[in-house]
Amino acid sequence: MRRHHLASAAALILMLGASSSVHAVKPDDNPATRAQGKVIFDRTCLWCHGVTGAGDGPAGWFLGRYTAPRPRNFTTGSFKFRSTPSGDLPTDQDLFRTVTKGIPGYMPSFASLTETERWQVIAYVKSFSQAFRVETPVSLPLTDTPTPLGPESLDRGRALYGRFECHTCHGVEGRGDGPVAQAGDLRDASGLLIQAADLTRPSSFKNGAALVDLVRTLLTGLDGTPMPSYAARLTETDHDAWDLARYIHSLSAESVP
Amino acid sequence: MLHRRFSLVVATGVLVGIALSCLMVPNKAQAIPAFARKYDVNCTACHTAPPVLNTFGQRFLENGYQLPGTEDGGFTGKKKLGDVTLDDVGKYLAFRLVGNAVRNWSFQQQNPAGADAGVVENKTEFTFPENFVLFAGGTVAKNVGFMVEVGHDVEGGETEVERGFVSFNNLGAHNLAHVRVGKFDPSAFYSVVTIRQQLNDIGESTSNGCTPYVSCPLNRVGLGPGAFATKFYGLYDRSGSAISPFASTLYNSGGEMGIDVHGRPFGDSFLYQVGVLNGANENFGDSNKGKDVYAMLRYDYAQSDYFAMNLSGFIYQGNSNAQVQSHQDVNWNRYGISARATYKMVDLYAAYSIDRINKVPTGVIGNFDATATGETIGVDTYVTNSTLFSLRYDNIDAGGMLDQRTSASFLGVQAKQYLRTNVAIFARNDFNLRKVDGDEAAARNLRNAFFAGIDIVF
Repeated sequence: MRRHHLASAAALILMLGASSSVHAVKPDDNPATRAQGKVIFDRTCLWCHGVTGAGDGPAGWFLGRYTAPRPRNFTTGSFKFRSTPSGDLPTDQDLFRTVTKGIPGYMPSFASLTETERWQVIAYVKSFSQAFRVETPVSLPLTDTPTPLGPESLDRGRALYGRFECHTCHGVEGRGDGPVAQAGDLRDASGLLIQAADLTRPSSFKNGAALVDLVRTLLTGLDGTPMPSYAARLTETDHDAWDLARYIHSLSAESVP
Repeated sequence: MLHRRFSLVVATGVLVGIALSCLMVPNKAQAIPAFARKYDVNCTACHTAPPVLNTFGQRFLENGYQLPGTEDGGFTGKKKLGDVTLDDVGKYLAFRLVGNAVRNWSFQQQNPAGADAGVVENKTEFTFPENFVLFAGGTVAKNVGFMVEVGHDVEGGETEVERGFVSFNNLGAHNLAHVRVGKFDPSAFYSVVTIRQQLNDIGESTSNGCTPYVSCPLNRVGLGPGAFATKFYGLYDRSGSAISPFASTLYNSGGEMGIDVHGRPFGDSFLYQVGVLNGANENFGDSNKGKDVYAMLRYDYAQSDYFAMNLSGFIYQGNSNAQVQSHQDVNWNRYGISARATYKMVDLYAAYSIDRINKVPTGVIGNFDATATGETIGVDTYVTNSTLFSLRYDNIDAGGMLDQRTSASFLGVQAKQYLRTNVAIFARNDFNLRKVDGDEAAARNLRNAFFAGIDIVF
């Protein structure tokens, strides 16, 4: 049964990965590529991520000051934005998406770098963690497509929002003011205070605000934060994740993609 | 006595208000101003605390308002409509409203004869924030940036283009040469930047109706970085208007007409800057005077551990850029060094400069000190996530006319509470470290100055 759930989650994630990825000509990951990537990294990324990729760049402290987020520490091999199961490394395509789209509020889009330059810098970023040398992250395989969402989808999503107790962090109305958040009990992996996402403000969603982005976030979780993966719980039907994502969209005070 | 008690009540009220606001206002960062809107990031991506830049923001500025290491000027925020590339104006316009809502000046005595009538020993005023600035900045194309800044001094009723320039970037090769043309801050890339201070510049007050080439008595001093100040008493611009000893000038001026070039062709650690200016507030128009020239070299260390530091030194060579009361031209030069270091929440900085008048004119010789120095040392530090504490020491060992010059030392202390990243309220007090009861010089008879106000940027 659990294997069935994982397979369903994998299907969704791979489909999402395929639909949201940017297709580019990717250079081979070799010393020359990494050397080119280092040049770009030192000009562009070092200021926040630091020369060793530890997320302690000279400008890094000011992003969140005494609270999260801080710039990603590439040496730990833990990444928030993935299409892979919780605890796994991200795929190259995941890293490419983050570099290309940026992270609202904290990291600008670097789409102005050429695609080749972005692949080069990703090759260099991966060299900070030994894990990338021994593991080959894989998005879970595609086996299904979501059922078209009917009008009852919102009701099912609302029920899931309650059943999974999303309101304890995000609040009943999704404003990020649930009792756990209010109590100041949410911390990231480095112990810094972190705020629950305000679900009424999709433009601030760090992992993207499109429906497919929400589904990916729900299934993979955001490693290093209190947001867990719901992959094992959202695959009883092939539309659970989409129902919940659709309900989250309905909380929005903004227009969403 | 009554005035003092009233001042204390006002000051206490403001501080209590700040304290209460800490409790009442949710601490959520918001990305608002123009560049933040354009790149969809928080102000803190570029600022330690606005308007002071962190290393990422400094490289963004150096690169002509393009992300460091990129040439995104023709890309980010642009919409391609047929053969026309249009921009979202909302991502280019911003404004800043900054100034004091309350200020209290405490003088030991009535100012000298000739000063404004009505200036009394203790003076508390409710004011409208003094300075409103509307600015548009960004890129018009790849490697072509611009900035226009129109400021309105509410108190003085004056509106002027404080800055307006175009920049051409990455000429020849990446980071080889960036050129700015127009009215800009020469010190924009210096370790301590004139216009990026947490303790805002407070202009001096002078008597009305000053006569050209005649000393204009100060009612009270101005409060600004001592290292950047004129430091000389008895200097005049070429129209005969007295140049304030406390105004930021020369390389450290807030806006001068000219052209300059900067870049990092020798690796990332060294920045060079050279420039030519009309100098001494010379505006548009015919001017036969010689131009002022300057050169600056800066060393940066910024790698990891949330630490960055830099050292800078400059030479500014004036060319008939001021006059003395005998109407004779002088060459007014400045040499300066400065340093800045940031480590996590702490931002420490210092600047020192020597001003020198070459060849004192015969009309004032024997009554003119041709050398003056100034120092500024300060620290800004976040004591909580939204509370910034600032301390700044300024000293001026004044030069100029011996019968006028008065050295001055001040210590400014400020607490700034960020209600949002782009909205702050502050309370500040400046102490006169060289006050002398009964002295008629403005630099000595100021006993204390208190300010409370707002700083909003959208």
